[in-house]
Amino acid sequence: MKLKIAPLTLALLAASTLLHAPLAQAQKKYTIGFSQLAFDDPWRVAFNNQMTKAAEKHPDFKLVIVNAQRDSSKQVADVETLMQQKVDALIISPNEAAPLTSVVKKAYDAGIPVIVLDRAVLGEAYTMFIGADNKFIGSKAGAYVAKWCGEKNYNPCNVLEISGLSGSTPAQERASGFREGIKANPNVKLATSVTSEWQKAKAVPAAAAAFQGNKNFQVVYAHNDDSTEGGYIAAKNANLDVSKMLFLGIDGLPDKNGAIVSILQGRLGASFVYPNGAAEAIDWADRILKKGEKPPKKVTLGTDEITSANAKAMCEKYDCEAK
Amino acid sequence: MNSTLLARPAFRKQVLLHTAVRFQGFLGLLIVFLLGVALAPVKDETNLFLDVTNQMNILRYVAETGIIAIGMTLVILVGEIDLSVGAVLAFGATLTAHLLTTTQIGTLLTLIAVLISGAAFGFVNGAVSSAFRIPSFVVTLAMMSFARGLARLVFGGVAIPLLAISQGGAAPEDAFFVNLRLGGVLPVPALLMFGVAIVASLALRYTPFGRHVYAVGGNPVAAHLSGVRVEFTKVLVFALCGVLTALAAFVHAIQLNQGAPNDGFAYELNAIAAVVIGGTSLQGGIGTVAGAVAGAWMLGMIDNILNLNNVQADVQLLIKGALIVVAVALQRLQRRA
Repeated sequence: MKLKIAPLTLALLAASTLLHAPLAQAQKKYTIGFSQLAFDDPWRVAFNNQMTKAAEKHPDFKLVIVNAQRDSSKQVADVETLMQQKVDALIISPNEAAPLTSVVKKAYDAGIPVIVLDRAVLGEAYTMFIGADNKFIGSKAGAYVAKWCGEKNYNPCNVLEISGLSGSTPAQERASGFREGIKANPNVKLATSVTSEWQKAKAVPAAAAAFQGNKNFQVVYAHNDDSTEGGYIAAKNANLDVSKMLFLGIDGLPDKNGAIVSILQGRLGASFVYPNGAAEAIDWADRILKKGEKPPKKVTLGTDEITSANAKAMCEKYDCEAK
Repeated sequence: MNSTLLARPAFRKQVLLHTAVRFQGFLGLLIVFLLGVALAPVKDETNLFLDVTNQMNILRYVAETGIIAIGMTLVILVGEIDLSVGAVLAFGATLTAHLLTTTQIGTLLTLIAVLISGAAFGFVNGAVSSAFRIPSFVVTLAMMSFARGLARLVFGGVAIPLLAISQGGAAPEDAFFVNLRLGGVLPVPALLMFGVAIVASLALRYTPFGRHVYAVGGNPVAAHLSGVRVEFTKVLVFALCGVLTALAAFVHAIQLNQGAPNDGFAYELNAIAAVVIGGTSLQGGIGTVAGAVAGAWMLGMIDNILNLNNVQADVQLLIKGALIVVAVALQRLQRRA
């Protein structure tokens, strides 16, 4: 009998060892709870890293990050658990607006400052919202293309657009912003638009199909850097002269597969940072909790343009994995 | 059982093991609960795990999985499996939001319509599997894809917001009874889970239908020879599983203020895990509904304990996986003994 319950005992022992470690370091300070909708894509990983880094600058902050694994039900339970832990401030990047609205309101009504990041909730029952503007960032990318085509004196300057998930708000906004941006140069022609649903693996065949019909492209613009990389692979496969082309995208991630490293390595020509607001959220948590400041209801973040000219500096700024 | 038999060590061992397996769901729940109390952080002299609010949060969270797991128990008891429950939940939740916000039929009729839709999915699962002799694993795998596709197609692929009229939405206020708490404490979803569990347990124990379920799962040939309508019982069980999944779907939509065709992803795995951890044999014929509720509860409790102690979610997945293996291993040991 003893032998037979050994696996269970072992599992429980393992669990208890895991559980004891964080307990030991509990001490009296400000606990900041961060409910993140998922950890599974590089943008969110960078998001969490930047949040942790920003929180480390405040020795009296203890940051607790919980992962909802893209499940709104789980995220509601996560926020309830953070409230149970009596966090001093709640930062949340909600999976979906409607399902998270009431639990965010519950925290807000309980007197906890609530900072909502990137994706919104319904109504006004939160302290502040910090997010980026996809349309603005798309227009910056468009303006960059207009300028680049002018400098190269390409006429026409044909653009292949690789769109994100069709119908999704970020894809629509990154598309419409881009169209506004390229108006500055009438020689820029949006020749073809294909979709990759944000995935590099789908961007390769989609771009390959476009190059099959027309090899005369000067610019490949994708709604995310990963898909731009897919377009780059397809261009090389189609024997296009990639050195004469501009490949650009949006996100500007610092990880080793991200745009900063790619620009340093000479594949991507430009990328525009889609900011997550992590540093701003920690800063505002500090000002609300310790200085009693009243924050604005909404903060819209700008972007950083990354090109070969400033990639090294941007690598420093965003702590990129260039090694 | 007489004293001479009990005196034999081999037999005593078997009885002990049998009891342990039979109640493994409850034993596990008790152990996890005690671990939770012991390991929970204490803030302002309150044990955060033991706190009533926290316990009720856990119950609210596990209710959906628990309700589905009760239906899944029936299916597994007759020796079948239902992989479509997550997708059927997505359809039911989206249908709930659609009916409550775009029609005037009211809460009760909406609930009935959603339950009927669940029954229909379950009936098709059972009937197709029976009529064409296709393993339920394959039929419900197909239904998983079909129901998901139907949910997206019928409702336009996007989540339907579900807010009460007083919150600026279009749904009747009484639909939100799901968010109430009995006596201000016990969440309605948990009440529904316990209610369904009691009814299902009584039905399994005291009705001919219940005895047929165990007979069909234990030995279908013998059941058939003794006059049990094997295929009819199986179809009925699949339909019931569909109804319970639809009930969970209704609760899901109200709790989340939306019906989304992409929800319910991997819920079938959580439900199966709860059933197996609760001591039900995947071979059929052995198991209890109460065990499945205990299994779902245990999984929710573990998530909560790990969250309260800031252990990352990936570790939660590891522990869930390990628990499933331990539960099944215990059953195997019993068979060998």
